[in-house]
Amino acid sequence: MKYLIIGASAAGLATAESIRKTDADGEITILTKESYLPYSRPSISYYLKGVVDEKSMYLRKPSYYKEKNINIITDAAVTKINPEKKTVKAGRKEYSYDKLCLATGSKPFVPPMKNVEGCKNALTFLDLAATKAVKKAAKADTRAVVIGAGLIGMKAAEGLSKICASVDVVELAPRVLPSILDEKSAKTVKAHLEKNGLRFHLGNTVTEAESKNGKITSVILKNGDVLPCDLLILAVGVRPETELAEKAGLEVNRGIITNPQTMQTSDESIYAAGDCTVSVDMLDGSNKIIALWPNAVQQGTAAGNQMAGGELTTGNTYSVNAIDFYGLRICTCGLINAQGEQYSDRIKAEGSSYKRLVFEGSNLVGFVLINSSVNAGIYTSLISDKIDLSTLEGDIMDDPSLFMFSKEVRTTKLTGGMAL
Amino acid sequence: MKKVFAREQLCINCRLCEVYCKTAHSKSKDVVEAYKSEIPAPVARISVYGDKTASVAVNCRHCDDPACVKACITGAMQKDKKTGIVSVDENKCIGCMTCLAVCPIGCIKTAKTAVKCDLCQGEEPACVKNCPNRALLWLEAGGAK
Repeated sequence: MKYLIIGASAAGLATAESIRKTDADGEITILTKESYLPYSRPSISYYLKGVVDEKSMYLRKPSYYKEKNINIITDAAVTKINPEKKTVKAGRKEYSYDKLCLATGSKPFVPPMKNVEGCKNALTFLDLAATKAVKKAAKADTRAVVIGAGLIGMKAAEGLSKICASVDVVELAPRVLPSILDEKSAKTVKAHLEKNGLRFHLGNTVTEAESKNGKITSVILKNGDVLPCDLLILAVGVRPETELAEKAGLEVNRGIITNPQTMQTSDESIYAAGDCTVSVDMLDGSNKIIALWPNAVQQGTAAGNQMAGGELTTGNTYSVNAIDFYGLRICTCGLINAQGEQYSDRIKAEGSSYKRLVFEGSNLVGFVLINSSVNAGIYTSLISDKIDLSTLEGDIMDDPSLFMFSKEVRTTKLTGGMAL
Repeated sequence: MKKVFAREQLCINCRLCEVYCKTAHSKSKDVVEAYKSEIPAPVARISVYGDKTASVAVNCRHCDDPACVKACITGAMQKDKKTGIVSVDENKCIGCMTCLAVCPIGCIKTAKTAVKCDLCQGEEPACVKNCPNRALLWLEAGGAK
């Protein structure tokens, strides 16, 4: 059996590893347009800050791939998939497959702005190559402007603030980290970020740049403000990378459509996993792009398992994310900005800590934890296992622990049912 | 693989397991120094929950298919193929705490990096050795000593 995977990040690697678990001998090839073996994308901001070096970003040792007989071809940008012939083209080379998995991830979304395209100091921040360019451009006297206060933009801003003279963040939404924070918690976080030197321009956007010799010198905002700018980071957002899938005639609606159990696309020999796909959120049944690491790994694992003819693995699909900014720890899961009568919430805020739990009936369906993430995974398990909260002991707003469960349940969780 | 198993009916909430775990994971291996003077402060990887009437010590289950390993964004969290021990490579860990956000047992602690039970690298764990009421046992998952 010949397996081919396009993309070598979380989903691509998980697919390969999952195939190998079931099929010891099949030929596994991963094509990546990047020049690196699989590395931690989320670590790029830590690399920018200088907290981790390139070597410790690699997810596996180089020898691991030889051991597992997984062939990774770098600098191989796929330009075309031919589903009839079951081949893909990368450069001048053609690769054939029996089963193909698309793990093409996201691409930066850059909204139209006058005079920005082609400028040397307008950079994206999504992969290692881009980060190296940013690191090279960021100097002690650099005045940086970051467009986008989402996860990527804020991580770029945090990293740059350790290097640059000033960092301004421009965001269209009225709050920071709009995808993971509710309105109230965003205020707490924004205050913390400002204390650490970031300047915000919320509800605003860059309409135009002024440049000299192909380099941006300042940006003009929608409200007329002008920010001097030596380095512009484009981090407005990401979109699923679906171009190859679309050209191959696969069903795409924002992201690649898959069977959520098998990860098969509309072509039965082609699978897809990770940020390039549309996920069905188990908590509200909605179709959404869940561009988060754990989801990518889970989908990759499921895809690989199916490609190799393994049994159906059932995974629960929901968002879970943990991130820190200048020591402030944010942990979120599930439905955070849920709208509707069926939802209720409880909030506990003390000093810099904030806890908001979102409920649907007697189930937990989401949380935002700021500097209060002790044993957060227990909350996550209550969400993913759809536990009826009326069966638990104590106040759900206290630090969660196994002691919330009845004696029988917590003993089983600890002993696996073994009599002691 | 051998793991630490807790017998809730025998736990007396003395928390000595926490004390000896912290000490075993200190630089000095001295109880007083571990608690009073070491910087960074060592962290106990086992926690006792409950009160005087009912309590139990919780540490990592070293799961067969660990959620923390799958969720780790840097590859720092790994399950050793031979020993089965799930541990964090502190040089690779960036302290994002995604592992903590997905651990259903609630056994991962926050420090500069994620910190968790390493089963004392295969030696008889300090928590088991020092449990005064034998509430903690070091057993094969099947029950054999």
